Amino acid sequence: MPRIKIDHTKCTGCRHCETACSLNHVANTVNPRRARIRVMRDGNRYYPVIAGPFVDAACTSKHYIVIGEQTYDMCAFCRASCPEKPYFVEAETGIPLKCDFCGIPPSPSCVRWCNTGALELVED
Amino acid sequence: MNGWIGRCLRINLTEGRHNIEEIDPGLLEKFIGGRGLGARIFTDEVSPQVNPLSPENKLVFSSGPLVGTGAITGASCNVITKSALTGGLACAKMRGHFGAEMKFAGFDLLIVEGKAEMPVIVSIMDDKVRLIPALEYWGRTTVETEELFKNNLGDPWAARETYLVSIGPAGEKLLPLANLINDRFLPVGGAGIGAVMGSKNLKAIAVRGWHSLQVADGNRFMQVVTTLINKLNSAPLTQSMSQTGTAFLVGLCYQKGILPQNNFRRAPLPLRNIATDALNSAFALRSRGCFACPIACIKKADVKHSAYEGKGMAPTYLAIGSLGVNCGITDLTTIGMASMMCGEMGLDPVATGGTLATIMELVEKKLVTPEELKIDLRFGNGEAMVEALRLMATKKGYARRLGQGGLALAKEFGRPEVFMGVKGHSLSPFDPRAIQGMGLHFATCNYGPHHLFAYTFIDELLNVHQSLDPWEIGGKPLLVKEYQDTTAVMDSLGLCNWPLMGLKFNNYVPMVNSCLGTNYKADDLLFIGEKIWNLERMFNLKAGFDRTHDTLPERFIKEPVPDGPAEGQVSRIGEMLPEYYHLRGWNEQGEPRPETLQALNLEVGECQE
Repeated sequence: MPRIKIDHTKCTGCRHCETACSLNHVANTVNPRRARIRVMRDGNRYYPVIAGPFVDAACTSKHYIVIGEQTYDMCAFCRASCPEKPYFVEAETGIPLKCDFCGIPPSPSCVRWCNTGALELVED
Repeated sequence: MNGWIGRCLRINLTEGRHNIEEIDPGLLEKFIGGRGLGARIFTDEVSPQVNPLSPENKLVFSSGPLVGTGAITGASCNVITKSALTGGLACAKMRGHFGAEMKFAGFDLLIVEGKAEMPVIVSIMDDKVRLIPALEYWGRTTVETEELFKNNLGDPWAARETYLVSIGPAGEKLLPLANLINDRFLPVGGAGIGAVMGSKNLKAIAVRGWHSLQVADGNRFMQVVTTLINKLNSAPLTQSMSQTGTAFLVGLCYQKGILPQNNFRRAPLPLRNIATDALNSAFALRSRGCFACPIACIKKADVKHSAYEGKGMAPTYLAIGSLGVNCGITDLTTIGMASMMCGEMGLDPVATGGTLATIMELVEKKLVTPEELKIDLRFGNGEAMVEALRLMATKKGYARRLGQGGLALAKEFGRPEVFMGVKGHSLSPFDPRAIQGMGLHFATCNYGPHHLFAYTFIDELLNVHQSLDPWEIGGKPLLVKEYQDTTAVMDSLGLCNWPLMGLKFNNYVPMVNSCLGTNYKADDLLFIGEKIWNLERMFNLKAGFDRTHDTLPERFIKEPVPDGPAEGQVSRIGEMLPEYYHLRGWNEQGEPRPETLQALNLEVGECQE
């Protein structure tokens, strides 16, 4: 099954993936808030996060993540379109957003526009 | 509207009011947006005679129509005002994410006028515009301001989506050298704008928004952008940019004798200390991209030094040239330290580096002694320089006098010829004797001698589109004019100019048209660029500049390069200038002829009182 592999060390935080996703899903419209991928940032680091479904189980196994010298709240990288944060929800309708790999066969627009290799389509 | 939003936010700080205005679609068509529209609105509303630091001066923040749409490198927001350094127009090209977020907040233009009684921060968040008292921010560095503001928001999710443009202590103290800092990037060409913002008691502007941008033909637009990304990837120079940022130019400029040392008086020391390999070993570079940029030329690095510790932008070509080699410093850690200090204090690296080189030459000529200065400012003394930067920005000690700028300093000691600059602004680190076209651009640029307003080195030095010898003058006036116009229109669209190293201007046209739903041809766009250049020129002429300011310091005309690869070269600006005026349709005095203005559709009222 194809997946999008994220290498956060290569992400430059340019947010081109957000615009690509938004353009591909909402006709002729660019709005990062309607994108199904968002780039979280913390200080000098960037973490692309791809939207997924919200299930309670994710929160029960919540813990802290240590990367380098810093400790992060797991919510910062969570892909769920959960009510706690303003990400991955259509503002007008409240419908949760979820990555659909840009249809079948998968050719995600975010991967096409990501020039640094932070996003990659892999088979496994 | 496609690309454009068509709304302008006008903030009056004196009355603490704001209102939202519609932008005349005719103006958008004529001047596109960004730098062009900003210059048009500014020159229309502000008198050329206004004192830059008075409440009558205005700040115009202007994003281009392609900004935020996903058009490659569409990130540029230009700030236009009357410069506190030169007295002419000033334009800061802000990269990063501020411009795009401003569009998502629902505005193409942001006009700040008047003067607040107390320090304030303008916050434009989710359609709510507020003036926040900023006493607790006053005196803080740009990095501290950003962190404190985001902490004060109290919502980590909101903080992640908020972008700031702020001034450092240098801007608060009204130093003419002060620049803005946005999103921890140093904008280029902004010397003299920080002081204007400081004079309005405006510490920062924060934006966040959720408006949608419309694109005319989304499918075609996505195809064109994908093609352009692939095209960029196959260009070797943009690959170098991606790896080390603009610092890759250091080696190339050195080989042609373009990199200056010790206030433009000799060719540099051996290269190995400052070349790209040294940069890679001095810092662990992390790439950082402006909005929608596939190149990501901004490099971030940490500096750990006994005198300074911090995170910030790794040295770019500008920093290595201006703050480093031209001040005799070839240690990359020191240069990085100075560059980050400039970012924190809100100082413009080009103008600041030029000022420091001036005082160093005055010290060398024994016109002022280090004892008098209380700092040992000699060529090559990096630690003294970093200390001087701190004192300068906070206006402390003797170094406070350095903050007035290189020209004023050189005049104070009766030696104005020691200052290497044009129109009061220090030269970018390109020796105009060894790169003639750039020299002509430095002499004629509306915004002071900054290389990022005409990328002539792409052809003169890197030979991307045509092969020209940097030391020859043949064809240079036309080259300069073309690059000045191209840059003007690309700034107006909101695009970065660096990809011109891999793309032709023509390549952009399908992207512009599919995004905006227009039918521009490349020539139409360049015509608009020429119009913008003339509009800016007219403002500067009325602000007191004339033909005599279109020249280079005497050193470049009279003293040949003493050593290095370009030994014996002098600038032949006198030979190139008449041809340049002729190509521009200007008279011998450098004034646009009435028929030129007419041909450019610049109405008389737009250029004259």
